[in-house]
Amino acid sequence: MAKGITGIANPYTKGNCRNMKTNFKPRITLFQCCNILSKDAFCKLEKKIDFDLDVVELPCSSLVKDVFLLRAFESGSDAVVVLVCPEGTCRYVEGNIRAKKRVQWVKNLLDEIGLDGKRLSLFNVAHSDKEAAVKIIENTLSDLSDLGPSPARSVRETEAVEEKKV
Amino acid sequence: MIVGNQKSLAEIKEIVAPYKNLLILGCGTCVKTCFAGGEDEVATLSSALRLGFKKDGKEILIQELTIERQCEDEFIQEAAENINSNDAVLSLACGAGVQAIAKRFKSVPVMPGLNTTFIGILEKQGLFTEECVGCGDCRLAQFGSVCPIARCSKKLLNGPCGGSKNGSCEVDAETDCAWQLIIDRLKALGQLNNLKAYVQPKDWRSSNAGGPRKLVREDHII
Amino acid sequence: MNNSIISKLHGVLARGDFAVTSECGPPRGADPDVISRKSGLLKNCVDAVNVTDNQTAIVRMSSIAASAHLLQNGLEPVMQMVTRDRNRIALQSDIMGAYSLGIRNILCLTGDHQTFGSQPDALNVFDIDSIQLIRTLCEMRDKGRDMSGFDLKSPPRMFIGAAANPFADPFEFRIIRLSKKIEAGADFIQTQCVYNVERFREWMKTAHEEGLTEKAHILAGITPLKSAGMARYMADRVAGMDVPETIIKRMDGVPKNRAIEEGTRICLETIAALREIKGVHGIHIMAIEWEEKVAEIVGAAGLLPRPDIN
Repeated sequence: MAKGITGIANPYTKGNCRNMKTNFKPRITLFQCCNILSKDAFCKLEKKIDFDLDVVELPCSSLVKDVFLLRAFESGSDAVVVLVCPEGTCRYVEGNIRAKKRVQWVKNLLDEIGLDGKRLSLFNVAHSDKEAAVKIIENTLSDLSDLGPSPARSVRETEAVEEKKV
Repeated sequence: MIVGNQKSLAEIKEIVAPYKNLLILGCGTCVKTCFAGGEDEVATLSSALRLGFKKDGKEILIQELTIERQCEDEFIQEAAENINSNDAVLSLACGAGVQAIAKRFKSVPVMPGLNTTFIGILEKQGLFTEECVGCGDCRLAQFGSVCPIARCSKKLLNGPCGGSKNGSCEVDAETDCAWQLIIDRLKALGQLNNLKAYVQPKDWRSSNAGGPRKLVREDHII
Repeated sequence: MNNSIISKLHGVLARGDFAVTSECGPPRGADPDVISRKSGLLKNCVDAVNVTDNQTAIVRMSSIAASAHLLQNGLEPVMQMVTRDRNRIALQSDIMGAYSLGIRNILCLTGDHQTFGSQPDALNVFDIDSIQLIRTLCEMRDKGRDMSGFDLKSPPRMFIGAAANPFADPFEFRIIRLSKKIEAGADFIQTQCVYNVERFREWMKTAHEEGLTEKAHILAGITPLKSAGMARYMADRVAGMDVPETIIKRMDGVPKNRAIEEGTRICLETIAALREIKGVHGIHIMAIEWEEKVAEIVGAAGLLPRPDIN
């Protein structure tokens, strides 16, 4: 798992959310198995930190197709996170393992594209473990402050976001 | 089925670079089954290409379409409009499909997005193996239904060679020695004596060594 | 085959003498002096010298040319020919060409797969296999016809050899394959290096029971070991090689500077044991890039001088 940020001054606290170096509002798409968390699990975090989070709920994480992950980047995500059940606990036996393999495949594809496979990650999260899920998103935001905006997010789009904000 | 494997994104990007409006055309039969050229792969590749070009600050307009088979007119016609309205076609069919499209649309560049690899089977989920080279003169009956031409690295008709070890081929330990399989199977069938007889050199005229082949069925020509 | 003696090797074996052959790998270059130097080391201590054909699929001077150089140096070649690189047209043509240059012995092989060599990107041929090549040579010689059935005015008359590996899998099929080679027309057989004498003895026993030792001369392969590392490498990495643990232990058990001595001792013991096995009509010493060792081994094994056939 990515490094924790507890105890470190959070660069994304409301009103002071922009990374000084890259200055952008991060956007994360989260694909999650509906057996883990409810959709509103991140409400508090969204209030605390200025970023966009699109949550896509799936009946099983294995339903994330390669193209869904890529299209999330096409629609402007800087990072995509997939949350799956712990191994051995998938309702559909091996859905989470399939998701893991697919994510690895698309990570390689992202490397090939030049988008950096690190922007896509998958985590096993136990049923109702909201705390772990929130931590994962916080860590992803922290990673994004190093990675910067997705190179496939055109300058215009980033600016548009800026204008809307103003 | 025909087994294929998608080309690397870098190679595809280079092939399609000159074109602004591109049709990525999938094929819904063989190459769909081997996860190389069906609807899903068309969508994934299109998305990856768009991302790649966008990252480089270039623009490309991709149209996606998958037809049942690119090797039959009946289906090819379904794509005619899309083909004619684009600058070029990136076909995710086997080499036969690519050429079938190209033959029928003389002024549109048609390029391959796959490497066609072999005639094979889905041995198990995610594993495809070569079984046939289409030599035009099937001798499987003689060899216990294991083809020494397609499956022995040295195409031995009087095998096995000295490199067969524990059932594996010397060329690659992950590959079964075809001759071990032939012997095992003929033994089980009580036909091991088949192998005592000398097997004549193969007449390769029926294979592609005899030049491009044609099959004519007069009864189907009107 | 009519009874006239085709080559010196044929003569030695036909007379019932224990034959000794050795090996000479052509250079990775065009210098014939390499062959002359190796010839000097092998002269008068063997009956014939195998000339390998791009062995392990590494490009070298052709076996035909190197065989011709050996002849000029007064040695008798056993020209090896693999079916990996040439189709049937080229093979038959080269056989006739080789015969015209005075080459009288040939060893028919399929050849190592090109993926093991220096040019794994090459296209292989494998139009025919080694057994079909043996049959081709036999028909050329005995019936005077090429593969198309065309009557040759002066057919090549070669003493035909084949290889056999008693140690490869599937073991029970090895004799069937040996028998196919002999049926196809092999006059002599050179085997894979023998380190496991027991297993070889078992194979020979079956060959003898099948009547094969009456039909072809079997020459057992010998390769002197230089070090324990070499023994282990052959055991683990060389396909179709059987080096028993006892041999590796013996090589391991002596200090490094005595390893060659121990290897030679094993080699001589093996030769002595092989000479006792019914049907073994000779040995084939493959001292890879170590030709100077051959004279010493042949001498110490009491196999000198070599019979004078001419």
